[in-house]
Amino acid sequence: MSMIASLALTLPELILSTGALLLLLVAAWGGDGSSRLISWASVALLAIAGLSLGCANGVAFDGLYKADAFSNFAKALVYAAAAVSILIAPRFFEARGAMRAEYPILILLSSVGMGMMVSATDLLTLYVGLELQSLAAYVLASFMRRDSRSAEAGLKYFVLGALASGILLYGISLLYGFTGTTQFGGVATALGDGISHGELFGLVFVMAGLAFKISAVPFHMWTPDVYEGAPTPVTAFFASAPKVAAMALLVRIAVDAMGPATSSWQQIVIFAALASTILGGVAAIGQVNIKRLLAYSSINNVGFALFGLAAGTPDGVAATMSYMAVYIVMTLGSFLCVLQMRNAAGDAVEDIASLSGLSRTRPGLAAAFAIFMFSLAGIPPLFGFWPKFLVFDALVAIGLWPLAMIGIATSVIGAFYYLKIVKTMYFDEPAPAYAPSASRMENGLIALSAVAVSPLGYLAIPLLGALSMAAARALF
Amino acid sequence: MIGIQHYLVVSAILFAIGVFGIFLNRKNVIIILMAIELILLSVNLNFVAFSAYLHDLVGQVFAMFVLTVAAGEAAIGLAILVIYFRGRGTIAVDDINRMKG
Amino acid sequence: MIQLIAFYLFAVMVVGSAALTIFARNPVHSVLWLILAFFNAAGLMLLAGAEFIAMLLIIVYVGAVAVLFLFVVMMLDIDFAELRSGFARYAPLGVLLIVVLAAEMIFAVGAWSAGSLALSQRIAPTPDEIPNIQALGTLIYTRYLFIFEAAGLVLLVAMIGAIVLTHRARGGVRVQNVWQQNKRRPQDAVRNINQPVGQGVEL
Repeated sequence: MSMIASLALTLPELILSTGALLLLLVAAWGGDGSSRLISWASVALLAIAGLSLGCANGVAFDGLYKADAFSNFAKALVYAAAAVSILIAPRFFEARGAMRAEYPILILLSSVGMGMMVSATDLLTLYVGLELQSLAAYVLASFMRRDSRSAEAGLKYFVLGALASGILLYGISLLYGFTGTTQFGGVATALGDGISHGELFGLVFVMAGLAFKISAVPFHMWTPDVYEGAPTPVTAFFASAPKVAAMALLVRIAVDAMGPATSSWQQIVIFAALASTILGGVAAIGQVNIKRLLAYSSINNVGFALFGLAAGTPDGVAATMSYMAVYIVMTLGSFLCVLQMRNAAGDAVEDIASLSGLSRTRPGLAAAFAIFMFSLAGIPPLFGFWPKFLVFDALVAIGLWPLAMIGIATSVIGAFYYLKIVKTMYFDEPAPAYAPSASRMENGLIALSAVAVSPLGYLAIPLLGALSMAAARALF
Repeated sequence: MIGIQHYLVVSAILFAIGVFGIFLNRKNVIIILMAIELILLSVNLNFVAFSAYLHDLVGQVFAMFVLTVAAGEAAIGLAILVIYFRGRGTIAVDDINRMKG
Repeated sequence: MIQLIAFYLFAVMVVGSAALTIFARNPVHSVLWLILAFFNAAGLMLLAGAEFIAMLLIIVYVGAVAVLFLFVVMMLDIDFAELRSGFARYAPLGVLLIVVLAAEMIFAVGAWSAGSLALSQRIAPTPDEIPNIQALGTLIYTRYLFIFEAAGLVLLVAMIGAIVLTHRARGGVRVQNVWQQNKRRPQDAVRNINQPVGQGVEL
C-alpha cells in the first residue's frame, strides 16, 4: 500500500495533529489571551476529525494501524469527551487566573494518542500512542501549578503511570521475543500453538499495565488521589476519554492478539472485574468528597464494563462498548454538576454535605444530579440500566451465570451510595445555597446529558446497538 | 556468541532492582524517577537481546522509540517534581499526606 | 573467550551500579551510579551487535537525561536525610519479594529458543551486507515513518509540558527587541561636530 493511501486512512489523526501544531503557533504569538479562541477552534477540529471518521476502512503502514468500525466507534466517543472537557475548562480556570492557551492543545495531542491506541494493530503503535496520551495527561493533572494539590496529583499520576508503562513494556518485550513479531496477528498465530511460560508472563505483564490505565483493581490506588487533586475539568477528562481509549485498546489486544489464549486472560479479567465492582462499591460508602466518590464510582463502572470482555464473545464486546458509551455521558454529566458546586464567594466546594437540600435551592440541578446518580446505579427506568443488562446477558449466554449473579449483587451494594447522595439532596435540611450558574453552555450540556441517560435514551438503542455490534464484529 | 539467557537474566535482575527501588524509596521521588529509568533500561536490554538472537531489526527499532519516549518522560517527571518542590518545599511524598492515600 | 569475559564484566558492573543507584545515600552519587549503569548497558548492547542503540543510549541518557537529573538534584535544596527515614522498615520484605519476582522471571525467560515459528514471523530480518545504522535508518524512514512522526509529537508534548509547568514570566526584565535594533541607523546615534577650541563639550 502506498504511503499516500496509508496517510489517508489516518485522516482523523492528521487533522488533529496539524491543527494542534497550527494552534500552538497561534498560542505562541497570541499568548493566554487567545485561549478562548483556541478552545473553540480545538472543538471545531475535534468535530471535523469526528466527521472524517468512517471515510475509509483498511490497514495502513504495513499493519501498524487499522481503521475499522471498532476504532471509529471508540474514536467518536473519545473526541466527544475531549470536546466537552475543552468546553468546560475556560470558565473554571479563568476564575482561578490559571487559564493557559496550552490546555486545549494538550487535549488535542492527547486525542491523537488515543486515536493511535484504539487503531493500533502493532505493539509499537500501541506503546507510542499510549505514551502520547499519558504524557499529555501527566501535564494536565498538574496544570494548576500553584495549587499544591494539583502538583501532588500530577506527581502521583506520573510515578504510578510510568511504573505501569514499564511493566507493560516488559510484557511487550517478552511477547516480541517469544513470538518473533510485534504485530497483533502474528502474536495471535504464535499463541495459537500453545503458550510458553515466557508468553504467559508477557501476557500477564501487558494486562497489568493496561489494568492500571483503566484503573481496574488491583491497579486502582492512584485514582481517588488523582481525581481529587486534579482540576475538575481535567478530572472529567480523565474519567471519560482516556478510559474509553484504554478499554478499547484492552479489548482489541485481548481479542486480536491474545484471542487464542482466551482461557488465560479470561481469569485475569474476571478477577479484575469482580474486585473492581466490589471495591469500587464498598470503598465509596465512607467518602465525603464528591470527586473521590466519583473516582470510586468510575472504578466500579469499569468493573462492570470488564464483565462484557470477560465473556469473550462478540455480544460481550458489544456490551462493553455500549457500556463505555453510556458511561461517559453519565460521568461527564456528573462532573458538570460538580462544576456547579460553588459557594457564594465563587470558590469550588467538593464536600458531599454541601449538597444537602439542593432540591429546594436549585431544583433543576438536583434533578439532573439525581438522574445521573440513579443511572450510574443502573436503576431500571433510566438508561444506565440498559448496558448493565447487556453485560450480564452476555455472561449468561456463555453459561457464566454465577458470575452474573455476583455482579448483580455487587451492583446493589453500589446503588447504596448513589442513593445516599439523592437522599442528601432531597430530604436533608438545606445547606447554604450555591452561587447561581452563569454559563448557559454548561447548563445546556447538563440538560443534554440528563436527557440522554433518562428513559428517553432508550430511543437510541437501535442505533447504539447496531454501531456497537458492528464494532465488535470488526474484531472477531 | 554468548547464550541469550545471559542477557535475559541480567535484564530480569535490572527490572527487579528497578521495581524494588520504587517500593524502597517511597519518599524520595528523585530516586523513584531513576528507578523508572532502570526499568526502561532493562526493557531496552531485552529488546536488543531478542533482536540480536532472532536476527530481526524490529527489536532495535522498538528500543529506539523507548529511548525517545523515556527522554520525554524524564523531562515531564522532573518538571512536575520542580513545581511540587516549589509549592511544598520538600519532595517527600508521604503515605500520610494532604490527600489520604 | 574475550567476548565472554567482556560480557561478565559489563553484566556485573551494570547490576552492581544499578543496585548502588537505589541504595546510595547521596542522590548525586545515585545519578553517577546511574550513568555508570548506562555505560555498561551500552557495552552489553555493543556485544549483541546493536551499535546504533548503544551509542544512542550514551548520547541520550548520559548526555541528556542524566545531566537533567543532576541539574534538578543540585537545583532543589532538599534535606535528604529526612527522606531516608522508613527506608529500613520496608527493606527485608522488599528484598524477599524482589528475589521471588526475579527468580520467577528468570525461570520464565530461561526456556527461550529461536523457534521456527518465531523465526518465520520476523518482519525485518537483519540484512547481512549493510551496517546496523543504515539498516535501522532504512526501516525507520519507510515502514515506521508513522511511528517516527508520532514520536516527534511525544517530544513536542514533553516540551510544551515542561514549559507550561515551570516557565515563570518575570517582571522587570529588559528583553531584546530585534526589530528596534535593526531599525537603528548610525545617524540616529552618532553626531559629527567640529569642536571649537576653548569651549566645553556639549552633552
